[in-house]
Amino acid sequence: MLVLGLALLGASAAYRLGLDARGLLPREGGLRIARDFFAAALTPALDYEVARPSGSVPSFLSRLAGALWQTVLYAAAALSLALLPGLVLGCLASSSVWAADPMRMPSAGLRRCTARLVRGLLRLWIGMLRSVHELLWAAVLLAALGVSPATGVLALAIPLSGTLAKVFSELLDEASQKATRGVRSVGAGPLAVFAWGSLPTALPDMAAYTFYRFECALRTSAVLGFFGFPTRGYHLRAAFEVSRYREVWSYLYALILMVLLLELLGAALRRRFLA
Amino acid sequence: MNPRQEVIAGLYRARPRSALLRVTLLACAALGLGACWSVGDGLLELVRAERLGNLRRFLERDALPYPLREGPFRFATAWDWVSGLWAGGGREGALATLWIASSAIVLAAALGALLALLGSRVLAWREPFVSAGGRGEVLRGRAFVAASVRLCSVLARALPEYVLAFLLLGLLGSNAWPAVLALALHNAGILGRLGAETVENLDPAPLAALRIAGARRPALVLFGVVPAALGRYLAYFFYRFETCVREATVLGMLGIVSLGAAVQEARARQRYDELLFLVGVAGLLVLTVDLVSRVTRRWVER
Repeated sequence: MLVLGLALLGASAAYRLGLDARGLLPREGGLRIARDFFAAALTPALDYEVARPSGSVPSFLSRLAGALWQTVLYAAAALSLALLPGLVLGCLASSSVWAADPMRMPSAGLRRCTARLVRGLLRLWIGMLRSVHELLWAAVLLAALGVSPATGVLALAIPLSGTLAKVFSELLDEASQKATRGVRSVGAGPLAVFAWGSLPTALPDMAAYTFYRFECALRTSAVLGFFGFPTRGYHLRAAFEVSRYREVWSYLYALILMVLLLELLGAALRRRFLA
Repeated sequence: MNPRQEVIAGLYRARPRSALLRVTLLACAALGLGACWSVGDGLLELVRAERLGNLRRFLERDALPYPLREGPFRFATAWDWVSGLWAGGGREGALATLWIASSAIVLAAALGALLALLGSRVLAWREPFVSAGGRGEVLRGRAFVAASVRLCSVLARALPEYVLAFLLLGLLGSNAWPAVLALALHNAGILGRLGAETVENLDPAPLAALRIAGARRPALVLFGVVPAALGRYLAYFFYRFETCVREATVLGMLGIVSLGAAVQEARARQRYDELLFLVGVAGLLVLTVDLVSRVTRRWVER
């Protein structure tokens, strides 16, 4: 039933958009572009396709490496900026940190009320941070602050901190009850239960998730180049617009390779970490 | 040392350690610090007088909603402003975003289901799900297909949607297809991987029973695997739907009709109050979809 409904939803959405099979055919001249573009896939450029006067610009490969490095830098800076707020917000928004102390029953009602209120507000705040896309943050921040590397890093870091906070709080709440019960049974208060029970249990998962988010941040920081930041997207766009498809493919391959390598490393880490 | 301390010391010595983990942790810390250092000048530059002036001008003039700018606040003007913006791009953009995201995710789910079934290792066994402990015997040809399908789905999700849409826009011209296809390809890669993992983690006993009773592969998939894996897969579907809507809001910045296009236009005209309004609409849209998909996910998983 649900599947049928979803298929109908998709069909009606396609109808509303006016999608038809003809739109899939390349536009006039697009066929030639497509042929050139995919033919270039086999021979990615190792040098500029159009010779540049030597000495005036860095070589193509060093520019590629530079763009890669900038992409990594933006992502890493954003992640390190986002990690602390994400951690703090995530801990505060998790229900286990607000768990009432079973020893002190009288204050439980009021405490639960405030906890629920604070958590609700925090969750709304986190939701607002992360539901606005990085590029929209970039548009707002560019208008407010002007172009600077920090604008790009902030645009990446703000939604990243929201996402980290949301997932951290969920992981903390899902942490196995065994450890928390053990700590509680030796007489620890709620905060100690959180610090020595929930947090260490959830930590491996949290680290693995942070690593995965780094991968996402890399992808997005590449896209930030479309807004004029010196990451890969900038060069990719420039090369595509003047139809230097072999250069485009070099940038694409570099991006794919980087993401693949990170994914392999992440998988290897997860195997050891979570085994 | 008393025996208790000895036991504790022994446990400490026997703790699991991994060189790879240490190296990665060190490298990550170094990279983070290095990145902050090298962008650090930029971060400090943010609090310089010129930037602060920019910020003040932005907050005091540009970003101030039009009805608040001159004279006392009047509800009628504010209402006109909001409804004008909503009618002049906001509504159309929000709806287009939703339509793009939903047709893309349905396409992605269909493609991803195919990728998941073809890419799962268990279905490449000679006797799927039937194993005497450990792994079953593998059919060479099927295993090869499965490996290449998995590689395809890795490639599909390695490219960001935005880049994919940009390239497709160049090839297909400007209609909604580039956005839909880009979102669908990327998400099909992700759903394919998640789906394949789901199939591999299914409880093998009932499926092995089906197989032993003589079910051929299509029957096994149709009557065994699909019903068992559907709930999980739908949960993933709704999880990706929310990300899809979030991503669809910005694809418009390339010139495809969605909220992003309206944002880009407001940017070009330097109407920053309108820009903030549209960004707010985008955020609310994603928040609503997130809420709906979370409720549905809980309902589906039950």
